[in-house]
Amino acid sequence: MLDWIKNINKEYPDFWKTYLSKFETKTNRYVILNTETTGLNPKKDVILSFGAIAVINDVIKISDTFEVVILQYKYLHDNGLSNEFLIESKLPKLSEYNAVQALVEYIENAVLVGHRIHFDIELINEALEKMECGKLKNEALDIEIMHQKLMDITNKSFSIEDLVKQYKLPVNERNSASDDAYSIALLFLKLKTRLGFK
Amino acid sequence: MSNSIAENIANFLKEYPPFNYLSYDELIQVVTNIGVVNLDKHKILFKIDDKLHDSFYVVASGVINLSVIADAEETLLNKCYAGDVFGLRPFFAKNNYMMTAKAREDSIVYAVPISSFKPFVAQNPQVLDFLLESFATNTRNPFDKENRGKLITDNVYTENQTNEIQYFQSLAYNKTPLKIATNASVKDAAQLMTENLIDSAIVIEQNAPIGIVTDTDFRTKIANGRFPITTTVDKIMSSPVVTVPENVSVAEAQLLLLKYNVSHLCVTTDGSDKSDVCGVISEHDLIVAQANNPGVLIKEIKRSLSPKELKLVREKLTDLIQSSIAKNIPLPHIYNITGEIITAIIKRSVELAILDLGSPPSRFAWLSIGSQGRKEQLLLTDQDSILIFEDVAPEKYRDVKDYFMKLSKRTTSILEKVGYQFCPNGHMASNMLWCKSLSDWMKQYNNWMKMPGETSNDISSIFFDFEIAFGEGKIEDTIADLIFKNTKNNALFFDYLGNDALHKNPPLNFFKKFNLEEEGENKGKFDIKSKAIMPLVDGARLFAISMNLRGINNTYSRFKQLALVDPKFSEIYLNCADAFLILSKFRTLEGLKNDSSGDFINIDELTKVDREKLKNALTPMKELEELIKDKFQLTQFS
Repeated sequence: MLDWIKNINKEYPDFWKTYLSKFETKTNRYVILNTETTGLNPKKDVILSFGAIAVINDVIKISDTFEVVILQYKYLHDNGLSNEFLIESKLPKLSEYNAVQALVEYIENAVLVGHRIHFDIELINEALEKMECGKLKNEALDIEIMHQKLMDITNKSFSIEDLVKQYKLPVNERNSASDDAYSIALLFLKLKTRLGFK
Repeated sequence: MSNSIAENIANFLKEYPPFNYLSYDELIQVVTNIGVVNLDKHKILFKIDDKLHDSFYVVASGVINLSVIADAEETLLNKCYAGDVFGLRPFFAKNNYMMTAKAREDSIVYAVPISSFKPFVAQNPQVLDFLLESFATNTRNPFDKENRGKLITDNVYTENQTNEIQYFQSLAYNKTPLKIATNASVKDAAQLMTENLIDSAIVIEQNAPIGIVTDTDFRTKIANGRFPITTTVDKIMSSPVVTVPENVSVAEAQLLLLKYNVSHLCVTTDGSDKSDVCGVISEHDLIVAQANNPGVLIKEIKRSLSPKELKLVREKLTDLIQSSIAKNIPLPHIYNITGEIITAIIKRSVELAILDLGSPPSRFAWLSIGSQGRKEQLLLTDQDSILIFEDVAPEKYRDVKDYFMKLSKRTTSILEKVGYQFCPNGHMASNMLWCKSLSDWMKQYNNWMKMPGETSNDISSIFFDFEIAFGEGKIEDTIADLIFKNTKNNALFFDYLGNDALHKNPPLNFFKKFNLEEEGENKGKFDIKSKAIMPLVDGARLFAISMNLRGINNTYSRFKQLALVDPKFSEIYLNCADAFLILSKFRTLEGLKNDSSGDFINIDELTKVDREKLKNALTPMKELEELIKDKFQLTQFS
C-alpha cells in the first residue's frame, strides 16, 4: 500500500516532492494569497499574477512576501485581450510553469488565507495538473466566510472593499495583487482576534 | 526581488522623522524587515515592566496612548498618531519597559526591528539625535510637526507639551524678517514696517546683520526730535545686533534677551553676525511658545485665518483643561474660562464666514444653545446653535434669509472642521427651522411656551439655554424678555418642562446598584450624561426660569443663586450644585481619557472610593425631583 504512494511520488517533479515533504512538520505560518485572473471559470481562465505575504505570530512579515506576474501572452493573444499590463508592470515576470513552481516553493506548508480562496486554489490546481503535479495540500481560510461567521450572516457576500470599509482599515489606492494581499492580511488579523482562534 | 508592499510603506514613512533622514534605498532596506501589527481598540502592545521587544514602533493608523502608573493612578503621557515613533527603550536601555502602550482605537503599527535599524543610527547622526530626543522627552515629536519646512509666522504655536519640555524645545519665530539697507531712509523703514505689521527691521550689509531698528528706536530717536525723519537708518539702529543660531531653545533665547536687555534676537545661519540673516525672534514669540494660557489662546483665535488654525487652538484648549483639572483648579473657573474661549472660537468662525460671504444685509445674533449656552462645555461635543436676524421688508426677506442660511452653513462647517460634530438632531443654525427672523422666533417661543404639547409632546429644553456668540445683544435680550414674560401664570408650561426634567430613568436601581446600559455599543457602562447630569441641568433650568433668574445660565451658578433666593430649600440646591460639579468632573476625566464626549462611564474601571463618591453624588437628585413634584404639583403626571 505504502509502496504504491512512493511509486506515484516518483513521477512528480522534484519541487513537488520537496513541497510534499514539508507537510511532515506543523507550522504557525499563514500565507495570505491573492491572485488576479482573467475571469471566474477555473477551466477556461488563467492566472495573471500572484501577490502573497506571510503572517507569523500575528505579525505581518514584510520580508516574507511573494509577487509575480505571469506571462500569459498566448492566452491574451488568443482571446484578443491587451497585454499592456504585462509590459508596463515592473514586477518580476515568469512563465506560468515557473511562477506556479515559485509559489509552491514559497507557500510550503503554510495555511493559506484569501478572499474566496477556494477559487484561487482551484485555478492553481488546474495549473498544477498541467505540470503533472498533485493538488495543493494546504489548509485554507476564507476571510469572507470568517466575516460571515462573525456577523452571523450567510446570505450576503462581501467584496474586499466592503470588508476594508467595514473594519475601517486604511484604503489602498493602488490595486495590484500584493496590495490586496496586504489588505486581506490586515483583515485576517482583525477577524482572527475577533473570532478568537489561535 | 522587488517588494511593492515595502515600497508602499516606505512611501508612507519617508514623510516622518527619523525616516526622512534616510535615503530611499536605505529606507527600503529597513522596511523590508519590518512587521505589521494589528491592535484592536484597548489592546495593549506592551506594558510597564514587560520585557523589551526586539523592535520599536511607528503608528501607521489609529492612535496609541502611552501612559505610566504613578501612585496607583494611570497618567497619560502621550498620544501617538500616524507617523509617530514610540517604544524606543530597547535602543538605549536594557531594563524593562517603563510605560504602557495601549491602542485607543483600532490601530495598525509597524514594528521596526532594532537590529535592522541600528546600522543606520550609527551612520546617521541626525537619526540618532532624533531618537535620543524622542526618548528623553517622551514627546511624540521633538520638532514642531505643523511647521516643519513651512513658513512660520509668529503666531503659530509649537506642539503642546508639558511646560518643562516646551522650555527646551526649539522655538517658532518669524523666518521672513524685514531686511533693509543701511542707506534707507527712516521714513521708508517705518513705512515698510507698518505695511508688514512688524515691529522690527534688520539692517543688513552684504546680507549680514549690522543692526536692528525697532519701535523703540523710533520712539527714542525720531519722535523726540533727536534725528530728523529724513535721516538714514544706520544713524538710529541699535548695533551690534544680538545674533543666535537656528534651532535656539526657548530657555536660551530668554536668557539672551535678559542678558543683553534687548527685545529682539536676530537668527543667522551660523549664529554669528557675519552670516546670512534667516529670522528674527521677538519677546512675543517667547510668550507664545510658553503659554498655554487663556489670554494667548483668545489672541490666537482672533488672529486665526483658517479652520485649521482654530483647530490647533481647540487642541491646546483641551490641554489647558487637562492641566487645570490636574492642578485641581475649581471646575466653575474652568467652565468660565473654557466658555469664553469657545465663544471666541464660535465668534471667529462666524467672522471667517462673513469674510468669505461679504457683510450681512441686516443685523443678527448667533446664539449658542444647549451646553455651550450654559457655558458648561469642556469636551468636544456636537454643536448647537440658532441664528436670529432682524425683521426686514417682505420683498427683501428671501435674499436676507438666503444670505443667513449660507452664512450658517459655512459657519457650522468651519466648526465641524475645528472638531465640533454636527448636531445629530439638527439643532443648528444651518437648519432652515432654526435660522429665521426675530418675529418668527418670537412666534416659535410663544408656541413652545403657551401651547406646549400642541405639536409634539417633548419640548426642546435646550432652546432655553442660550448665550450670544456673535452679533446684536439686543436681539438676545428681546428673546429673554419674551421668555420671562411668558412664564407668568403659565402652569402648563412648567408642567411640561417639569415632566421633561423628571422623565429620566433613575441612575440607581432598587438595590442601589448602577443602572447600566443593557445593550448597544456602550453595554455595561453607566450613562452619566442622561442619567445623572441632565436631570440636574433640567432641574436647575426649570427653577431658574420659574424664579426669574436672568443672565445666569450655568447650572452650578443657577443652584447657587437659587439657594439665595429660595432659602427654605437652600440645602437641596447647594447639594445639587456640589453634585453637579462632581458628576461633571467624572464625565470630563472620562472624556479626556478617551477623547470622547465622556457620556458613558465604565464603572468597573473606577476605584471603590470613586464609585462611592459617584453614588453619593446621585442622592441630591432624588431630593430635587421631590422638590420639583412638590413645587409644580406634578403629581397628576407622574
